[in-house]
Amino acid sequence: MAGSQSSLREANRSAVVETVKRHGGLTQVELVGATGLSPATVSTIVKQLVSDGVVEVRTTIRTGRRAQLVTLAHRVGLAVGVHVGQRHIRVAIADFTHEVLAERVLPMPVDHPVDTSLDRTALLVVDLLERLGLAMQDVVGIGIGLPAPVDDATGMISVRGVMRGWDEVHVGHVLSKRLALPVYVDNDANLGALAESTRGASREYRDSVYVRASYGTGAGIIINHQLHRGFAGTAGEIGHVQVDPQGDICRCGSRGCLDTVVGARAIVEPLRATHGNLTLRDVVQRAREGDPGCAQVIADAGAEIGAVVSGVAMTVNPQCVVVGGELAETGEILLRPMREALRRRVLLNQIAPLEVIPAELGNAAEVAGAIALVMQHADVDLDPPVTAQERADA
Amino acid sequence: MTGTTVKDEGQVRPMATMPPRVPLLSMKQITKSFNAVEALVGVDFEVHAHEVVALVGDNGAGKSTLAKIVSGVLTPDSGIVEIDGEPVSITSPSAAHALGVATVFQDLALCDNLDVTANLFLGRELTRGGSGLKDGEMEQTTKRILQDLNSPIPSVKTELRALSAGQRQSVAIARTLIGNPRIVVLDEPTAALSVAQTAEVLTHIERLRELGLGVILISHNMVDVRAVSDRIEVLRHGRNNGSFDAGTASYESILAAITGATKYTQGGDRRYG
Repeated sequence: MAGSQSSLREANRSAVVETVKRHGGLTQVELVGATGLSPATVSTIVKQLVSDGVVEVRTTIRTGRRAQLVTLAHRVGLAVGVHVGQRHIRVAIADFTHEVLAERVLPMPVDHPVDTSLDRTALLVVDLLERLGLAMQDVVGIGIGLPAPVDDATGMISVRGVMRGWDEVHVGHVLSKRLALPVYVDNDANLGALAESTRGASREYRDSVYVRASYGTGAGIIINHQLHRGFAGTAGEIGHVQVDPQGDICRCGSRGCLDTVVGARAIVEPLRATHGNLTLRDVVQRAREGDPGCAQVIADAGAEIGAVVSGVAMTVNPQCVVVGGELAETGEILLRPMREALRRRVLLNQIAPLEVIPAELGNAAEVAGAIALVMQHADVDLDPPVTAQERADA
Repeated sequence: MTGTTVKDEGQVRPMATMPPRVPLLSMKQITKSFNAVEALVGVDFEVHAHEVVALVGDNGAGKSTLAKIVSGVLTPDSGIVEIDGEPVSITSPSAAHALGVATVFQDLALCDNLDVTANLFLGRELTRGGSGLKDGEMEQTTKRILQDLNSPIPSVKTELRALSAGQRQSVAIARTLIGNPRIVVLDEPTAALSVAQTAEVLTHIERLRELGLGVILISHNMVDVRAVSDRIEVLRHGRNNGSFDAGTASYESILAAITGATKYTQGGDRRYG
């Protein structure tokens, strides 16, 4: 009996630590809600974890009341999140409470070459750590999001041609050799989904889809709180669903992909005659400022994306669709036509209308997901001696 | 490719359908010599509002000479300079400032012993009718400008000597925004900066563009240039040697123009409107 008692205690302990790890920091009351344990059990476990140095507790204010905020103790280190976008590299350094300590966005050229990009990423990480007065040894890992499908097993881009010149390069190996740290590579929409489903707009939902509408379009699928990557990491690659059988050839080699209809080029081209040379960011900015032409292009893109997402929604049956990426900065201009396209599908709306909501983490969702990915992989010693013993047994 | 006349994919094509836009700054057939040295020979150059134009070329190609003409440090031997379609003569830096041109030179020209606010308003202090300075107002303006730029400087009361190279570059760029200029000239703003500092400066340049300014960016770093500019103008031995759309031009074609592997046909068919 004593054995099962202690194993139950161990299970509860690890449930609490896992929950704290997933959310970064939460109050004891929230811990009770998130773990399903009784307040007394949570209180006892937290006390033990504090004395073991696994978590820290400090007083905070939640909805006007004093509360005990539980976070992982800082000794478990820092995580670096990187998002390599089509036109920027964003690097953020966070501690295990998910609190971002430093962040930089570096604008990059179209089709930036892999060697320059990884070199600049490595230098940015070193630079930011130096600025924080922290050492490389404090970092437990680097998560990096790419705008291409990534094979989970190898960390390689699994579809050729999507990122020009990046196909043959093992991004994880290059960075890990350079910085002597573990590097985890994933698709950027997957990381956005991970972040939004743990800490953002879809955290309350079991099943959700995150759509990233940017220079290209992608989606991350969350089923039962878990990211679904698929066999080769191409799950949710909605940018390469065919929408126009007579359309242009896409970078991936197929004809008429969604990206050829709503990608950056398709957004700026129709405006060239009337508005001149605009960038994608210009179009987003002007749409927000009320330019009808720019708003029209984005609204049309929203309808196209919505039609493709309805197919995903039919397959996955999510409770909500979260929309991020640069185009989502236009808010309802993009979201309303998307929502309308989705609600036209009767099956999706019979029990409750499918929610289409903006990302809460905004353009930081991808780096937040990259940081979350590092934390998932990082070993947090619950009880150092015992864990070491267990490892020896295993 | 050597010696051939190339109309590359990245070259800016005439756009018959574009509405005619008067450029913010237009320079036509600019020539400048220093005794036997031909610094600029018949150079054409344009900047529109809400546009970042990069000026690239080898050392001695004439980039800085052209920038100095825009900012009133040098006057051209011949050629026409127009601002908003009106012919102007930029005879001095203060004339340039009055015409809405602000410049950040490579040496930044900041004072180490003064704080951020004092540097921004150096020589243009707001006074109370000759009796003292409007310190509060200057501080507020400084804060607003730094915020507009998303600048990482923690306090406007910090002395310049305490700032990093990147933060100093931020101050120099912020300084150009005093007096609401329309054209900002940046001479090698990312030279000798770390990557994190380069990130800040490039973000500032994007902000200047979003604020509707015309930006002239002189740089050797092709990655930085292609990251933030709309158009890339190549100078070679003081002459135009190519005009590229930064969004589509390949690194190789720009490099070919800089090194002279491709020659550029002079003609009136390459400009907007």
